[in-house]
Amino acid sequence: MQTPLSSNDAITVRDLQKIYRIREGGSWRGKTRDILALNGISFSIPKGQIAGFIGPNGAGKSTAIKILSGILRPSSGEVRVNGLIPWANRVEHVARIGVVFGQRTQLWWDLSVGEGLALLRDIYGVDSGRFARNRARLADALDLGGIMDQSVRQLSLGQRMRAEIAASLIHDPDILILDEPTIGLDAPSKLAVRAFVHELCRDRGTTVLLTTHDMHDIEALAERVIVIGHGRILADSPFEDLRTTTLSERILELDFNGTPPELTLPTGATETTRTPHSLTITFDPHQIPAPALVAHVGQLPGLDDVRVSRPSIDEIITRFYADHAA
Amino acid sequence: MILRPYFTAFGLQWKIGLRYRIAVVAGLVAQMWFGAVTLMAYASVYHAAPDVQAPLSLRQAMTYTWIQQSLFTLLPLGCLPAIGDAARTGAIVYDLLRPVDMWNWWLSASLARLLGNAVPRAVLLACVAGPLAMLMGLGAWSLAPPAGLAAAILALMSITLGAFLSATIVMWWNILTARTLSPLGSYAVGTPLAVLLSGMLLPLPLYPDWIRPFLLAQPFAGITDIPIRIYLGTPIPGGVVTGLGLQIFWLSALTLLGRLWMRQTVNRLEVQGA
Repeated sequence: MQTPLSSNDAITVRDLQKIYRIREGGSWRGKTRDILALNGISFSIPKGQIAGFIGPNGAGKSTAIKILSGILRPSSGEVRVNGLIPWANRVEHVARIGVVFGQRTQLWWDLSVGEGLALLRDIYGVDSGRFARNRARLADALDLGGIMDQSVRQLSLGQRMRAEIAASLIHDPDILILDEPTIGLDAPSKLAVRAFVHELCRDRGTTVLLTTHDMHDIEALAERVIVIGHGRILADSPFEDLRTTTLSERILELDFNGTPPELTLPTGATETTRTPHSLTITFDPHQIPAPALVAHVGQLPGLDDVRVSRPSIDEIITRFYADHAA
Repeated sequence: MILRPYFTAFGLQWKIGLRYRIAVVAGLVAQMWFGAVTLMAYASVYHAAPDVQAPLSLRQAMTYTWIQQSLFTLLPLGCLPAIGDAARTGAIVYDLLRPVDMWNWWLSASLARLLGNAVPRAVLLACVAGPLAMLMGLGAWSLAPPAGLAAAILALMSITLGAFLSATIVMWWNILTARTLSPLGSYAVGTPLAVLLSGMLLPLPLYPDWIRPFLLAQPFAGITDIPIRIYLGTPIPGGVVTGLGLQIFWLSALTLLGRLWMRQTVNRLEVQGA
């Protein structure tokens, strides 16, 4: 017996399936082939959570995002966003969400940022008092003061992305969908976007669904990661859990002031690389804890420096995709 | 206010249409030139065959040509440029994300773009081809005044319907653009159809007898041909009521079918990538 779709969740998805029919050969009588983009995914996101949606290219992320935004109809399955069926109640639904597609622009190239925001005010029917407050708040938080009067075509990518995010929030949406919001941004701009999203969630309780290929976005923002591959959900957990289950190994780097000596390692540790002045050892902390291993190598002649590190988030994800053949 | 988004879309495209002042002047020069060449051709044809009972007098043919030239940019030559750009870049997904009725939203923008282009040109050309030509002693070549007060009022009603009809046909080009994700097809189909069937190339009353009823009954006649006939006071088979009736019929039919086509398109629109 299935539980009813809960109204306390901002987003609920059950058994979502999407089949694209592709015409091959391009002619009128060409054969069609079905591509299974989403193969029955289910998840729900409670109000006020930041959830990261990751997966390799072609995994089905964009399809899921488009269905949740109401611009694509699934082949089967149930979806509720704010209690509404996105594609069936399109107008009502889109009034309550904000969407940023990192590779597209929703502002008008010919207009200034301020004029664009004023147009969106009219489109969403935001009253002038609320508009003035939101505009001031967003200009302050996203540092738009200096670019309000500039036309959108003159903005740098970082400035434009901040303006795009402001544009998606002028009508106080309950849910913000960010599709690759940091793509192409420099480090300070990425940090600014992350800090803003974090505050938005904390101060206003906005639910955020984020897709990205930048794992640092996920690490900095997402309380929860949904990994999607081959149209299925491969993992749905806090990021730390993904780290421990996927790649719990640690790395020990040793620098020497001469040629590194030959050494015998305890079970659970293996030498991975050797250079004229350094050694890298990978070890499983469950078999050999880091202090024990450091003690084991600590008396080696010529040892200069010792560093213990964890695999980077990119390595973890790469391993995860490889393990699941995603 | 529930109509605000549509006025906003209208206002934006109206401003964009007016922004290209040099294009207005350049267009005016081109249309004066084509108008003048056409007029000379009519003059020589009419003088070579003085006995033929033409459906339009020479003065009427000239006036028809002037009005047609001045309203060139009112024709549905292709999709709304903004929608063409959005289809190519993929930004068209944002149009689906607005809490508005898509048909009315695009229709307001399309109508504004047509009017923003056509109204300044029409006013300028009317001044040049009408009073100014008269003052320069080119009275025989000038734009004739309307057939009467009633004709003027009815022609104004009719051209208003014509503008809405044209914007509705632009909507069909917009949907075609959204389906193919390229504006090129809409121009390839729209421009020749509009130029030929609106009477831009040759006034519809001057075609052979047997084809005239068909030309009057097709939707493009309702954009400028029927209003011009009413302005000139030339007889329309079935009278002015038939003319206005045809315009209203096409406006309703194309809106109804277009909305169905749009709904079907939105349901299957699969914007690729990101």
